[in-house]
Amino acid sequence: EGYVNEARQTTFVIYVIYEKNVVFFVLFSAADMSLVRFRASASRLQSLVFTGCSRGVSGAVKDKEPLKKAKTPQGRFDIPEEKTNPVLEKFPDDVNPVTKEKGGPRGPEPTRYGDWERKGRCVDF
Amino acid sequence: MASVCAASRLLSKRISTQYPVVDHEFDAVVVGAGGAGLRAAFGLSEAGFNTACVTKLFPTRSHTVAAQGGINAALGNMEGDDWRWHFYDTVKGSDWLGDQDAIHYMTEQAPAAVVELENFGMPFSRTEDGKIYQRAFGGQSLKFGKGGQAHRCCCVADRTGHSLLHTLYGRSLRYDTSYFVEYFALDLLMENGECKGVIALCMEDGSIHRFRSQNTVIATGGYGRTYFSCTSAHTSTGDGNAMVTRAGLPCQDLEFVQFHPTGIYGAGCLITEGCRGEGGILINSEGERFMERYAPNAKDLASRDVVSRSMTIEIREGRGVGPEKDHVYLQLHHLPPQQLATRLPGISETAMIFAGVDVTKEPIPVLPTVHYNMGGIPTNYKGQVITHTNGNDKVVPGLYACGEAACASVHGANRLGANSLLDLVVFGRACALTIAEEHKPDKGKIRWHRLRRDRTPSGSSGPVHITCLLHCSLWCLCCLPRRETVPPDAQCRRRVCGQPGQAEEGCDKMDDIYQSLDDIKTFDRGIVWNTDLVESLELQNLMLNAVQTIYSAEQRKESRGAHAREDFKDRVDEYDFSKPTQGQEKKPFEQHWRKHTMSYVDPKTGKVSLEYRPVIDHSLDEQDCAHIPPAIRSY
Repeated sequence: EGYVNEARQTTFVIYVIYEKNVVFFVLFSAADMSLVRFRASASRLQSLVFTGCSRGVSGAVKDKEPLKKAKTPQGRFDIPEEKTNPVLEKFPDDVNPVTKEKGGPRGPEPTRYGDWERKGRCVDF
Repeated sequence: MASVCAASRLLSKRISTQYPVVDHEFDAVVVGAGGAGLRAAFGLSEAGFNTACVTKLFPTRSHTVAAQGGINAALGNMEGDDWRWHFYDTVKGSDWLGDQDAIHYMTEQAPAAVVELENFGMPFSRTEDGKIYQRAFGGQSLKFGKGGQAHRCCCVADRTGHSLLHTLYGRSLRYDTSYFVEYFALDLLMENGECKGVIALCMEDGSIHRFRSQNTVIATGGYGRTYFSCTSAHTSTGDGNAMVTRAGLPCQDLEFVQFHPTGIYGAGCLITEGCRGEGGILINSEGERFMERYAPNAKDLASRDVVSRSMTIEIREGRGVGPEKDHVYLQLHHLPPQQLATRLPGISETAMIFAGVDVTKEPIPVLPTVHYNMGGIPTNYKGQVITHTNGNDKVVPGLYACGEAACASVHGANRLGANSLLDLVVFGRACALTIAEEHKPDKGKIRWHRLRRDRTPSGSSGPVHITCLLHCSLWCLCCLPRRETVPPDAQCRRRVCGQPGQAEEGCDKMDDIYQSLDDIKTFDRGIVWNTDLVESLELQNLMLNAVQTIYSAEQRKESRGAHAREDFKDRVDEYDFSKPTQGQEKKPFEQHWRKHTMSYVDPKTGKVSLEYRPVIDHSLDEQDCAHIPPAIRSY
């Protein structure tokens, strides 16, 4: 109940049941092959707006409005993003402090073991 | 196969009527758009030739883009250097199987080639003075091996090959090369032993295109995909080698395939030797550190071919791990995690992404992996394709080859690190220069004999054979019994039979697989983007490469460079070079192995015939750069 604000794509209304001032919408979601039943009070029906992709026979997508971006549940993704790749950080100014090489490979010297190593992978030998 | 040929004549009539064939005419055609192909293509365009570049991939997707190592050149930015020392190192690295004139050419041109790349805009890493930074890599030494380590390897951060390819592609757009992207080259058009062009399948709409040209350059890359475990892209299927084989020309030294002992099982990524250097060990299914048995002193730090062979023996004897017992483990979890993280940063990420293991808890599944093919289409130092008849090298008119597909042969029996990118640019440019020297653009248009309905030009039985496949898939006209087979890609998964003794067994098995190729059936009947068909064609190409590789390997009864055998552990040269040659009797050509293998295949039966060609021992200019007489190779 309450206001549900979701954008569901590839969902079709199969049938509508109206009884005792309550409207049930049975929706089939092609994305995950599920049947969902929504219940709405008839008194709120005037605020119900049918929008969606009408993929007509022509095959063209006729969007009346731009698709709304799905909003994540608030608070769950507020952890600051971790920096991926702390292992191979860029040198300051891209200059290797030991060898003074500018624009060279990041991290320790790739040829230190005799082959060309990067992130544990050998790329040339 | 016989009934196919009978039906094919019937079909060939239908081909020209029902199957659209588009003709193009160019001054030069380049097949393949990797490092070598692009360099050749725009070199030709620059010289004024109307050039076509036929490629099955978009140029920047070629496998050159995956080369992360550097490129060697004796620029002398870090210490005094001389290209003659680079020449010595390369000849030694090739185990004296490399043609010294080609190596002379490559190492002499190297500094100019690298500077040219830099002028094209390739962002090499720099020293404080602004010169190109060079590092020590790939067995390079000073003063003919006596002056210590040389610093010759130039690089662009971690992505030299990527940067090279993009630089070359960007540069090539300045010239008006016509790119035919996503056209799968089927066969060469040969007439009276001369190459007159290429025939290709447009993958987008299924039409066949004939590119008529007086000059054809093959730069299609290697054939790593004949092996189950390789670092190559899925597209490295040796198409150029197969085209040349079907045209009745030989391929050279295909048995020299460079392996790396520790490649991640299933992924094809290589694990650095540093893991073993830091204390990692290889273990078999019994948890035994098996390297102690094979190399009691060096153990896991033995040389690469010893390690690869040991791993293969363990797997063959049934002590492999995994559900199919076809690989071994590289154990690192006995080392302190902190040490791993500081000494080998990124390895836990690599192991997790490619092997799905936590390197601090589980071992990494590894097996010997193919990395590079030293062999390929035989050429001289100018890039012209040659055959060897009656003891002499004879140029095939109109045909050139460069890059990994060619065998010039600069890498000989073993490639040194960072030399292959150099090989690409130098010989790509060499092909362009040779063509420019030999022909003026637009001079003497080829008199094109109209393709008669009943007989296609010799050597291009390829198109007929291909169109049989097409017709069978498209129109089901042939009523040949076609059994269902395993998916085409899975066919050519085979492991290295580096173990001799099993070499003959390998040859027999390969024959069986070759015969079973007749039963290929394509399921996709469409004409647009028929990847099923293209993969079947690639499979046939892989098969031709594989069969030559294994027969050449079985025949070569010695160990040289990357070709190592348990039953013949030594190099067999014309003299025994471990002793002074004075007073030794020179072995006749038939009795020693310092020679190139030239392999021919009859595509119908899969029978391989082998001939041999002597190694070129003189350099281009003995005054300027004396050739290096053979010696025992030890590092």
